[in-house]
Amino acid sequence: MNNQKRHMGLKAANRLSNTIIYIILIIISVIWLLPFIFIVFQSFRVESTWQVGYVIPQQWGLQNYINLWNSDFKRWYLNTFIIALASAVLVTVIQLCMSYTLSRFRFKARGPLMRFMLILGMFPGMLTMIILYRVLADLGLTQANAVPGLILVGVASSGMGYYVSKGFFDTIPKSLDEAARVDGATRFQVLYKIILPLAKPIVIYTILTAFMGPWGDFVFARYVAMGTSAGYNVAVGMYSWLTNDQISNWYTTFCAGGVIVALPVTILFLCLQKYYVEGVTGGAVKG
Amino acid sequence: MKRYSDMEYLRLSKWQKFVYKLVSFLVGIPLGIGHFFAKIGSAIKNGCVKFGGECKEIAVGFVHGDWKTKISYVVMGFGNIARGQVLRGLLFLLFEAVFIFYMITTGGYWMSMLPSLGKQGPESVYNPVLDTNTTVYHDNSFKILLYGVLTMFFIVAFVYTWWVNVKQNIIAEKIVKSGKKLRSGKDDLRSLVDDQFHKTLLALPMLGIVMFTVLPIVFMVLVAFTNYDGSHNGYSNALFTWVGFKNFGTLFSWTSTGAAGTQSYSATFGEILVWTLMWAFFATFTNYFMGMGVAMAINKKGIRLKKMWRTILVMTVAIPQFISLLYVSKMFAQNGLINQMLQGLGWIKSPLPFWDDPIWARVTVIIINIWIGIPYLMLITTGILMNIPADLYESAKIDGANGWQQFRKITLPYMLFITGPYLLTSFTGNMNNFNVIYLLTGGGPTNAAASGAAGSVGYTDLLITWLFKITTGSESQYYLASVIGIMVFVVVALISLVVYNVLPSIKNEEDFQ
Amino acid sequence: MASVKLTGVKKIYDNKVVAVHDFDLDIKDKEFVVFVGPSGCGKSTTLRMIAGLEDISEGTVEIDGEVVNDLQPKDRGIAMVFQNYALYPHMSVYDNIAFSLRLSKVPEDVVYEKVTNAAEVLGITEYLMRKPRALSGGQRQRVAIGRAMVRDSKVFLMDEPLSNLDAKLRNQMRAEIILLRQKLDTTFIYVTHDQTEAMTLGDRIVIMKDGYIMQVGTPTEVFEMPNNLFVAGFIGAPQMNFINTKLINEGGKYYVTPFGVKLPVEGEKAEMLAAKKIQTRDIVLGVRPEHIRLAKAGEPAIKTKLLVNEMMGSEIHLHVSTEDETRIIVRTPTVDLSKEERNAMVAGHEMNITFEGKVMHFFDPESSENLLV
Repeated sequence: MNNQKRHMGLKAANRLSNTIIYIILIIISVIWLLPFIFIVFQSFRVESTWQVGYVIPQQWGLQNYINLWNSDFKRWYLNTFIIALASAVLVTVIQLCMSYTLSRFRFKARGPLMRFMLILGMFPGMLTMIILYRVLADLGLTQANAVPGLILVGVASSGMGYYVSKGFFDTIPKSLDEAARVDGATRFQVLYKIILPLAKPIVIYTILTAFMGPWGDFVFARYVAMGTSAGYNVAVGMYSWLTNDQISNWYTTFCAGGVIVALPVTILFLCLQKYYVEGVTGGAVKG
Repeated sequence: MKRYSDMEYLRLSKWQKFVYKLVSFLVGIPLGIGHFFAKIGSAIKNGCVKFGGECKEIAVGFVHGDWKTKISYVVMGFGNIARGQVLRGLLFLLFEAVFIFYMITTGGYWMSMLPSLGKQGPESVYNPVLDTNTTVYHDNSFKILLYGVLTMFFIVAFVYTWWVNVKQNIIAEKIVKSGKKLRSGKDDLRSLVDDQFHKTLLALPMLGIVMFTVLPIVFMVLVAFTNYDGSHNGYSNALFTWVGFKNFGTLFSWTSTGAAGTQSYSATFGEILVWTLMWAFFATFTNYFMGMGVAMAINKKGIRLKKMWRTILVMTVAIPQFISLLYVSKMFAQNGLINQMLQGLGWIKSPLPFWDDPIWARVTVIIINIWIGIPYLMLITTGILMNIPADLYESAKIDGANGWQQFRKITLPYMLFITGPYLLTSFTGNMNNFNVIYLLTGGGPTNAAASGAAGSVGYTDLLITWLFKITTGSESQYYLASVIGIMVFVVVALISLVVYNVLPSIKNEEDFQ
Repeated sequence: MASVKLTGVKKIYDNKVVAVHDFDLDIKDKEFVVFVGPSGCGKSTTLRMIAGLEDISEGTVEIDGEVVNDLQPKDRGIAMVFQNYALYPHMSVYDNIAFSLRLSKVPEDVVYEKVTNAAEVLGITEYLMRKPRALSGGQRQRVAIGRAMVRDSKVFLMDEPLSNLDAKLRNQMRAEIILLRQKLDTTFIYVTHDQTEAMTLGDRIVIMKDGYIMQVGTPTEVFEMPNNLFVAGFIGAPQMNFINTKLINEGGKYYVTPFGVKLPVEGEKAEMLAAKKIQTRDIVLGVRPEHIRLAKAGEPAIKTKLLVNEMMGSEIHLHVSTEDETRIIVRTPTVDLSKEERNAMVAGHEMNITFEGKVMHFFDPESSENLLV
């Protein structure tokens, strides 16, 4: 009898704490989602192009999306998409080469190389912007030609970001490589036939992050485009709508643009969420 | 400091243990740093000894080598070709030819100009044809510095290749003498996908890193020792030149920057550094603990719809940060959604100064950063939390630990142990977190006392956004930006050094692996 | 089918730690050699140097008369079974076994024949289409062996292949490895930390410690004439008892005096001592637990007290303590004891033990070498 009572008490306590957690989770979800819901609502608002004190539009319409279509946004979107696609391919190749090598090969320069890159990473990247801009300018890859310039710079230094995928490769047992080498595989065949099929999550993770990166790339992109709208990516372009003298005309268009940018990336992300989570939890910390 | 033996330590009170640990930690910092420099010293010593040995070997190889080897000291790859390793030999020879050609045509010029960074600047010359003064451009300091550094890289690469060439020839001679066969060009090519596969894989990434990371960093570090700025751009208005440590003196001088009522650079630097460290601390640890809390809430036994909660949060990771940051920034603006709504509801009379008051702005960026960071931290910590062996909790429960004690004694130490390196990188990453600050506040509100010759400075400016403002500001003081960049490096390196050298000794106490 | 010869093989790691010192060994064609020793003794490192998975710091490894130091693992004509099986998780059992054949461009129908043959021999035919994760430990082990079998290699290397299996399965697989060996009829090098495996499988055993070879010999040799205290203690279970005592030479007759009890050395051992002209001296006396028995009344005997009685079924292990608290283990067949005797054997029971002169081992306390070797 007594026992049963205590049992009930435990259950009740558990129910109480679970209820509190549910309430917290609901509040959190609301806080996290609200701004995005606001953006969507505001993107359909017709009556004012500037901020108002309410969320649900009084007059619904596609005016902002039409504005978007008539602005340079198409060009920016295309620019960003090209950069994202190119880096998804090239950055992935480079990072996988780098991380696989540093995970699997034990050559003399390995330790010094990794230490060297660690130290390089301590310099603020911002510092190199000036010279990279001048180099790109010499190559004619700035302003209207900013897209290839941004791809070049983004891809060239991407080898430094090998940590996450190396962390993942480190979890694949080395004895698999050894077994394959005894079985007659060259190092290339080991990579191609054994490691790559097993590294699917991290490959997808790398592609995903490499693809998503350029959508938010802002500082350097703005520097390289130097005020030429044809060379903007979405981030730079849409930022220009929110400057103090532009914002009252472009605010709701910005919201519409935000929806158009976020939608495909979010859908892609949610489809591949599983791999992203595996990559983050597997690689990020061990790196 | 008195060192306790293990048995003595166990008898200390809780408070004494804490003090003892703290003191050991603090004493450990200089020790760790000293140890680090001692290590560097011995590494340099070893390097010198090794270098001497190599030189001797190369000299001995020349004296005792046959004529094929001897010629290879001058004509690279000659010995290889003569011994049948045609492919290797030709590559060496080609490299030498390219190097010599480059040095004669352009490299020599860049190297000769490097000490002065250009002799003749732009000048106004009377043009008799047009009957006006036109500007004639001569040397270009920027290019001299850039290509000078590049040429130096090339020279280093050449010396290394020459050294490899000599060593290979000495070895090849020995192999031939011992009657064994040398590797053919075909073997060399085949080994590039096999035992030398790492070289193939690393070639492209490393080339990119050297050209687009190492070279720019070396260049920018050198800029700190010049007077390169908007009015000395090295070509169209005036050359720039070496000024030694003067710029470091400027940053650390206590005199005012010149404009009336403005404070010295060192005071501004100090203020911004303190805020940068504060920001990095709060941004890292608020995210870390709150992310862990959310992860634990979602993972708690009995909570349903785990996947849904997680997806809601993860979705926000997918939306490009510039959208969410810019949007939220406007939402909290003086005439933004929040203020208008609150005023509409009659809760406040005048708008809240989210971005206009220094304290409000600093707190608001930290809070919004939590909103940005928690989903990511939730993902990371979920994975680790699930890896904590369940039997640890079971045994703790049997030992009588309640929920909070389980968290304090098991979850937290385990998490800190595993995520130690992550916390470090996250801390230094936050120090350089340009996007969050720049897109939210642009550094504002303006700090009038600190704003001076180098441009306006705000209360939420980090070193990195300050650096950005200086380079893009009206005077473009690149040299000052470069000095600040170097200081950021020094701070980050010092923190990392301390953490790397001191942490392991503390970590050993909580061995989970 | 090939001989393997190691000459002065050394492994020095980057941090100057020497893992293997001057390893010299001649392995004959079709011989089954076992490297055994505690963890960290360098046995696996040596095997991996033979396989080509570790660089050889000094010395040479020859397979079939050819120096293979600079050859890649795939070019050495070896097959290897790994401790954790190292099955390719994304391939079916069939593809796992076929992997090496396909790499060397063997026609598919030959591949099919070889793989199914191997599978039949190992009894895994019905699992051919499964992925490794769907197999039990023992089945995975068979696949790993199958993968090595189809390579038709000159040397078969096995690195602790049974250590991940439970005791029962281990015994079963041990027997199967013996059968496999008879079938394949090739050179085997087998690494284990388990002395039972070493004794039952090996034609010759190489006992290693801290990177040094302690002894090389047949199972009988290392059991009956261990070179030193380490080998004596490592081979045989429960471990040999060691007693610090004196060897007395009384005019050609030898005695030992453990715990003040004078016992004569007899038989072959006495002759060998005499042949070596060994004088009275301090020694470490070694006696295996199975060679100690309860003394009959009137015999010279060592007085002990029983501490623990371990009933193993067919035999009983008695942990006893002498008057100066030295621990000694006695192993006695259960059938040798009457029920009354067994019942009396509880902690604190006083018992007198003794042993024959022909089973004693004599070691130098300083160098720990066997005096008779």
